[in-house]
Amino acid sequence: MQGKSIDELRSLLDEKKVASDELFEEATKLAKANQVPYNAFVTILDKKEEVDNKTILSGIPYALKDNISTKDILTTGSSNILKDYIPVYNATVYEKLKQAGAVLVGKNTLDELAMGGTGTTGHTGIVRNPWNADYLIGGSSAGSAAAVALGIVPFAIGSDTGDSVRKPAAFGGIVGFKPTYGRISRYGLFSFASSLDHVGIMARNVKDIAYVTDIVKGQDIKDMTSLPDDFKLYQETLTSSIQGKKLFYIKSLCDIENYQNPSPILKEVLTQFKQQLDGFKKLGFVIEGVDFDEDLLSALYPTYMTISCAEATSNNANLSGIGFGSRKAGKGVNDIMFQTRTEGFSELIKRRFILGSYILKRENQERLFLNALRIRRLIVDKMNELFETYDGLIMPASGGIAKKVGTVSEQVTDSEQALENHMVIGNFGGYPSITIPSGFVDDMPIGINLTGRVKADAEVLNMAYHLEESMTYKNQFVGGKHV
Amino acid sequence: MVTKEKLKEYAANLMFDMKEEEYDTLTKEFEIIEKQMDKIGTMSNLKNVEPMTFPFINYQATLRDDDEDIDGTCINKKDVLSNAKDVLYEQVKVPKVVE
Repeated sequence: MQGKSIDELRSLLDEKKVASDELFEEATKLAKANQVPYNAFVTILDKKEEVDNKTILSGIPYALKDNISTKDILTTGSSNILKDYIPVYNATVYEKLKQAGAVLVGKNTLDELAMGGTGTTGHTGIVRNPWNADYLIGGSSAGSAAAVALGIVPFAIGSDTGDSVRKPAAFGGIVGFKPTYGRISRYGLFSFASSLDHVGIMARNVKDIAYVTDIVKGQDIKDMTSLPDDFKLYQETLTSSIQGKKLFYIKSLCDIENYQNPSPILKEVLTQFKQQLDGFKKLGFVIEGVDFDEDLLSALYPTYMTISCAEATSNNANLSGIGFGSRKAGKGVNDIMFQTRTEGFSELIKRRFILGSYILKRENQERLFLNALRIRRLIVDKMNELFETYDGLIMPASGGIAKKVGTVSEQVTDSEQALENHMVIGNFGGYPSITIPSGFVDDMPIGINLTGRVKADAEVLNMAYHLEESMTYKNQFVGGKHV
Repeated sequence: MVTKEKLKEYAANLMFDMKEEEYDTLTKEFEIIEKQMDKIGTMSNLKNVEPMTFPFINYQATLRDDDEDIDGTCINKKDVLSNAKDVLYEQVKVPKVVE
């Protein structure tokens, strides 16, 4: 059953050629067999949940990123400070999948508290790329991407604050979708940066993404930022015509002549991208390159760092060891908190919190925090202006392939690599945004990213479906170790 | 420019400490962020832009109603206390200290 789509598994289940118990057993065996070297899971469940509801997802195995709250199931955020934390409530996204009869296989490894983009900072070690274990898969939803790329589960739930679903999806050769901000309830998702956080979905084809989104979307009384449901079934509009749909790409980032001494990999990524645009035009898309203010492009990374660190500092103040989590011994309340946080957070997380705290100091707010929020508005205003003419932004998900193990750090960089950071635009504006596999460079997968107007989730999935159908990478996965 | 002593003060306010070499890494990160944000600050007319705190206005947003009468919106006391390491008289217990 490894690597089968939701449609294929649904048919097999309905025809009684396989039972849900067998699917669960095979998925957990595969998960265990592939823990070395990939480390996709923090927890692999021993017992199958039993909710006998008939939906497209009933009996289908899946995995959840380990920053999504699951009652009575260990939920660590891949951090030592929560290494023994067992929540007493369910995240809404988990509850909806449970009620739909989907079967949880396990909880996926992430960058600690989702605050990273490499898949190297989780408390249980690094996540490796199924396509080549010498490479990383990116993060923060690293384990979720690896589990889907290995074919262990047909879909997994992740979270996306900068590009944490879409980037690892690209590096894992799978599909990653972040819907409009608020489309899926964030209740029970560990907050990183609340104004940027989204629940996202990973799968091996766009139709499976639509099936899952149809189940988990909708307004939630427990999340005041959740959107009223649009009452659309995205799975039903995938095949609608895209004739005349207008897409744009950012010229300065996609034209190779704008780079001094480009690497062979960047050249190949951009060459393939341009060739694919020609193919997409033949489908009926109108695609044009547009200019985008260079100052705004170079501001993407520092703006993201400033906003996300500031919000993270505040959001994680509750990790003190007093009410929950791993409490260290101390002489009093203050000492307990001090010891707990000193031992519980990694260096990276502490550096992010100090940056955030500094940014929020009264004397720095205007120059740092408020200016970052102003830049955010300028970027979103420009995007909204372009969306008056165009239906979507199409870009390479990255200017390269996954990084080799041991070659990256999570330190703040002075590089202004807008091509590596452009997907954060989707978080600044809350736009629906999807990455689909688009080929290989040096035998490692690459992806194309498509971002649409706020609330145009159905349209984005519809366009992505047609792009996917015109290429040959749908449903690809790596066998890994078999059982 | 922010000093290492200042960074230690920030860490103490955030209730944790770091190793000396970790403060060195952080000092370099501060230099980078400061440089990048100073560059951003030179953009024209930035002062006239309203800061954007959320992606878009959701006019249909409703305040969360943490009402115990509405089933499922509140976590009950027993569950909450089950997560704490020490509990006494239905409250989280911490060491008693007179300073």
